[in-house]
Amino acid sequence: MSAEPVLVMPGLEVERISDARGEPAALRAMRRQAREVLAEMVLPDRARHLWRYTDPRLFVPHRESVGAVPTEVRADWVVNGSHSATALIAGGAVRELELADVARRAGVTVTDLHGADVEETLGSAVPPSHGFVEALNTAVWQGGVLVRVPAGVRLAAPIELQIVAGGSGSVATPRVLVLAGESSSFEIVENHLCGTLESSHVLGISELLVGPSAHVRHGLVQRWHGGVIGHLTVRARLARGAKAQLSLASFGGAVVKVDAGALLEGEGAEVETCGVAMGGNRQHLDHHTEHLHSAPRTRSHLDFKVALTQAAHSTYTGLIRIAESAGASEAYQENRNLLLSADARAETIPELEILTDDVRCSHGATVAPLDAEQLFYLLSRGLPPGQAQRLIVYGFLDQTLRRLPQTTRERIEALIAERLHSED
Amino acid sequence: MASPPLLTDIGSDYSQRYGFRNPEQYFVKAPIGLSHEVVEMISRLKAEPEWMRTFRHRALDTFLAKPMPSWGNSELLSQIEFDQITYFVRATERLGESWDDVPEDIKRTFDRLGIPEAERKFLAGVSAQYESEVVYHSVKEELTRQGVIFLDMDSGLREHEALVRKYFATVVPAEDNKLAALNSAVWSGGSFVYVPPGVEVAIPLQAYFRINAERMGQFERTLIVADRGARVHYVEGCTAPVYSTHSLHSAVVELIALPGAHIRYTTIQNWATNIYNLVTKRAVAYEDAVVEWVDGNIGSRLTMKYPSILLKGERAHGEVLSIAFAGPGQHQDAGAKAIHLAPNTSSKITSKSISKDTGRATYRGMVKVRRGAHGSRTAVQCDALLIGEKARTDTYPTMEIAEDDVRIEHEARVSKLGDEQLFYLRSRGLSEDQARLMIVNGFIEPFVKELPMEYAVELNRLIALEMEGSVG
Repeated sequence: MSAEPVLVMPGLEVERISDARGEPAALRAMRRQAREVLAEMVLPDRARHLWRYTDPRLFVPHRESVGAVPTEVRADWVVNGSHSATALIAGGAVRELELADVARRAGVTVTDLHGADVEETLGSAVPPSHGFVEALNTAVWQGGVLVRVPAGVRLAAPIELQIVAGGSGSVATPRVLVLAGESSSFEIVENHLCGTLESSHVLGISELLVGPSAHVRHGLVQRWHGGVIGHLTVRARLARGAKAQLSLASFGGAVVKVDAGALLEGEGAEVETCGVAMGGNRQHLDHHTEHLHSAPRTRSHLDFKVALTQAAHSTYTGLIRIAESAGASEAYQENRNLLLSADARAETIPELEILTDDVRCSHGATVAPLDAEQLFYLLSRGLPPGQAQRLIVYGFLDQTLRRLPQTTRERIEALIAERLHSED
Repeated sequence: MASPPLLTDIGSDYSQRYGFRNPEQYFVKAPIGLSHEVVEMISRLKAEPEWMRTFRHRALDTFLAKPMPSWGNSELLSQIEFDQITYFVRATERLGESWDDVPEDIKRTFDRLGIPEAERKFLAGVSAQYESEVVYHSVKEELTRQGVIFLDMDSGLREHEALVRKYFATVVPAEDNKLAALNSAVWSGGSFVYVPPGVEVAIPLQAYFRINAERMGQFERTLIVADRGARVHYVEGCTAPVYSTHSLHSAVVELIALPGAHIRYTTIQNWATNIYNLVTKRAVAYEDAVVEWVDGNIGSRLTMKYPSILLKGERAHGEVLSIAFAGPGQHQDAGAKAIHLAPNTSSKITSKSISKDTGRATYRGMVKVRRGAHGSRTAVQCDALLIGEKARTDTYPTMEIAEDDVRIEHEARVSKLGDEQLFYLRSRGLSEDQARLMIVNGFIEPFVKELPMEYAVELNRLIALEMEGSVG
């Protein structure tokens, strides 16, 4: 049992941040409260599975600085293709905001979170008590956006957020809040990128409040450079009849922990989580998913795939919890791991906690090497071994992407292909 | 330490020279609570060799130093008062209770299961032995002829010290966990089995046959060694409820399957529902050896039991087949572990659980494949059946894989007793009770068919009892 206090960070200058950003009183109060929560916390017990394979101390930043920020907006940070709105968060601030006419006319807003009135909503899906990383972010987050899509609005093109990690030794603490009005329907994609090749921390939180009968497709595409130590927390709260699709694509970073999940709070809510993770070199990837059913007739589905090369290490822990109040619910969970090297390592812990009997629930997990028969078949068709292997890995991961929106799917597929070719 | 070394030496000298082996008259029951004095008394009373005495004392230090597990049902675990337990009672002392003191529900269950009178008293702790002497005699002759050793652990240590010393605590060291340390410090009773190379024991060895032994000890210690190519099936416990006034049962069981050996260990645990049953069971399997745990958990308030297999030799195979029945107020926290340390090893874990009313069944498992254990395979299958809207089931499997050329599969399913199945069976003229029982029996069938016949019959009767009045 670890009893070390988490941090007595000089950077917990909550007041200074609030002053500098001219924040409303409610935000300042929230930061103060988070700082108090943090002061009471100790680092998580390593015996608990959530932190069994990843050292929590890695995510405790040693500096307060948000780091030097490149002044130019680099070409690869710009969103291509059509979109309803874009925002660029870099260096602890919102650098650019752009709203397409069609979205503006529909009443969609994308605003700087520092000045927003979010007393009732911010922190309602990820409170400071969630964990030390979340308490830390809530106390000192800098650079955040609020996305609000009014009731009944359906957007054809996605909302794209570009979130850039800071420079050497910096700590980026981005924060995203998405409010989806009743019966709204849209896609929002967060692209987590890097500004420099230097090492830095990213501790981010994204919250999605999905209103009754709304349908939100959320993508988290992470392609940091090799120097980033990052922790991203994503939670969606689903009201009656709401639907959410959470997709995770993890490619970069040195040590990465992602905690993504859904709170199925309204009757008939549904969530689908699709994840792919590719690890190489000595990357350490740790993904946790949670589907918490607390209302009747809720459904959840999870498909998470991991492919590892070289000395990469992946941990997947997943929890499905069906409360006593969630009768007639269904939950499925599947985690598959492909190990492509003798030095790769994978752990998988898919957990079920079922507190009532009127449920259908199952999960499965596998760890296996490349299928020798598939490989043999492709070789017999004249494919060179490298290409055959790439094709199998691509097919393995691509199955999970099938249900994603077309453009996002294509973008992730391109990243998979790029990564596969860079491994040669 | 309690007594000065000189006095200890004098004591052991006496016992050797004059055979003062029965100090029961002087000391039959340790004082309440746990201390080095108590450990010293137990060891001296049993006239144990120095190494075992030291082992016990070291284990006690480990027990005192280790924290309670921080996982599992901490609420129930924190209720155990280690200071309020009597750590050693001679078998004869247990006869203090009378048949009238045995709770009604236990007696009723004996009745319904059709357990013979003498055996009932034995199970209820009212009689120290029951009349199996005739059966035992012929079994014993056959075993002796084959060179098989089958003794209670205390006698095993006295009569075969070298063998015991070679293997004792090699699979479950005292440092393994807090409760294994506790058992190591105060163990008493349990079985010692040694099967010589190439010997196949034809009939299942049952702890039943060991008359007058300290079979139902609170802290029993069992060690089974099957030498090269040997084969043995050991059956522990029985389906009838075991009544005890003690609140804690904490056994350690070690199985050692040397190359080519085959050990099957069958237990059906049906402690009374006041018991905490916290058990460490682990096996090691060498080249081409097979170890099978067949494990049933019906009774107790809280059971924590995860039969484990270390697959240490190439091509070793391990299986765990378990069922758990968690009735009102019970928590069956059971599971299995398979640790693959050598190439081409295989394991199979099948777990079935039934949670009824406020019962909670937990599967907690671990599959590890260490680097170098290439070609290994494992398949884990967990099925949970829920009866009643307050029933709870959890699945906590852990898989740690550090080798690419392996196949690991885990699957779990949770379902409730299906309305459709019930409807079908009722349409065939079965009552609702009969239909439910039939579904539950079908669910645990893969387990029951692995049991010796008399156990299978008793288990079926027992399940019928547990399922009574489950309608509504």
